[in-house]
Amino acid sequence: MSPRLGGLLQLSPVWGAPLITPRIPVRSFGIRSLNPPKPSRFNIGPGLPVLESTSTAALRRKANSLPLRTGAIGIKKGMTAIYDPESGKRIPCTVLQLDRVEVISHKTRERHGYYAVQVGAGWKHPNNVPKSMLGHFSVNGVSPKRHIFEFRVKDEAGLIPVGQSIEAGWFQEGQFVDARSNTKGKGFAGVMKRHGFGGQDRSHGVSLTHRSMGSSGPGQGGGSRVYPGKKMAGNMGNTQNTVQNLKILKVDSENGIVVVSGAVSGPKGCVVRIQDAIKKPWPEVPQAEATEPATA
Amino acid sequence: MAALPAMRPLGCLRSLSLSNPSSTVDSFSTAYSKRPERVPLPPNMPEQFLSQIPLRFRPDPDREPLKIYPAPPSARKACKDPVGAITESQLAVLDPTGERKAMFDYRRNPRSVKTGDIVRVTFKNGDPFNGIVMSIKLRGIETSFLMRNELTRVAVEMSVKVFSPNVNSVEIVQRSEKKRRRARLYFLRDKKHDRRSVENIVASYVRQKKAFLGGGNRRR
Repeated sequence: MSPRLGGLLQLSPVWGAPLITPRIPVRSFGIRSLNPPKPSRFNIGPGLPVLESTSTAALRRKANSLPLRTGAIGIKKGMTAIYDPESGKRIPCTVLQLDRVEVISHKTRERHGYYAVQVGAGWKHPNNVPKSMLGHFSVNGVSPKRHIFEFRVKDEAGLIPVGQSIEAGWFQEGQFVDARSNTKGKGFAGVMKRHGFGGQDRSHGVSLTHRSMGSSGPGQGGGSRVYPGKKMAGNMGNTQNTVQNLKILKVDSENGIVVVSGAVSGPKGCVVRIQDAIKKPWPEVPQAEATEPATA
Repeated sequence: MAALPAMRPLGCLRSLSLSNPSSTVDSFSTAYSKRPERVPLPPNMPEQFLSQIPLRFRPDPDREPLKIYPAPPSARKACKDPVGAITESQLAVLDPTGERKAMFDYRRNPRSVKTGDIVRVTFKNGDPFNGIVMSIKLRGIETSFLMRNELTRVAVEMSVKVFSPNVNSVEIVQRSEKKRRRARLYFLRDKKHDRRSVENIVASYVRQKKAFLGGGNRRR
């Protein structure tokens, strides 16, 4: 695009810099206020409250609830039970499998505004991968992945090198994780199933509307409108759900198996993201693993 | 002009004389044809024409070709049935001899426990439980069976996990008299078919066993 505004600005610097500066053609785009807000003279000096609506403040707020290290992508394989050897107690558990999980790239504070590790799992035939994604994999030196997710970490110490594979041994037996996955889809469901409404009477003059939601709100007194967020029939399930504080019962690095206690949302074969539990103390990571990202 | 209508039916003969010109258009082939090679740009093309070429086709000496890296070894291929693998590793610890598995595998083992048998189960902690087996669920490590009995004139049912470490032993007290035609004997809950208490049968069995083993034996 040619700088069409250049000549115009040179002649009449209406929006531009003060007149003292040399006349340099400045291109400007978009809508600009004729009266830009001036900084208040009372808003300067020490003792002012720290701004809470900045990205720095947002990161500071999240600092305690962001895991130190990345998570992994697993596939839910099914449920079974494990007997505790000491007490003989039966613990229901979910079996997850980590298949070719590798770090693809990083998200950094400087470029993206936050720290995160982009992780991929599985394998996808290059013919079925868009060229833009192929370029992304090619630049970072990893094979095309089927599943790609980001795991936020607290700071750059958690950014493990690109291309490093995350095995099942990344998690330790006994530690706690949060498992994030999509719930089972239930399709278009009525209000009784979706929101637990009571439905209407079987009889007493009710006709054809035994499972419907009834009134959707007040009449003239309430504004004669349906309020936003009104619970209605609609698609149910297939939404993300996080199950917190699942204990890792068993780890098999050879076969990529991670066994977590309890249930994980979603059907068999669904993608599950597991990361260190944010409501438990961070796991004790071996020293070699902890220092590795710092040197790399 | 008057001759034309008479000639019209003969018009169909005209198609014979035509040399079938549309045959190449109508036919199509499913045979594999090679993708045409991209025609290279002329080497001495003036630079001002480059802007007319889409960006992705312009020659770029800095651009590296896409490199597709091979996938690392797959854990999914190494272990196709992770749940089965976990079950196997559990069974190796809980039932190393395969004795308990065989004892309830009624589909393969003819000498196994069957529905309708009266069994006596002892636990590591707690009293033994006797009852008539109503159902056996074969579910790998979760294999369980359901017993029914009557204690203090109250019907009691108890489901026991076969491979639980809390189960000490399972003994067959009495085989069912006739072959059951059903896999699950839920009809025993009906008043007509209820066997009521099996405590007497088990008590006499325990007495006999004690006499046979010499009385003082504490092992069960």
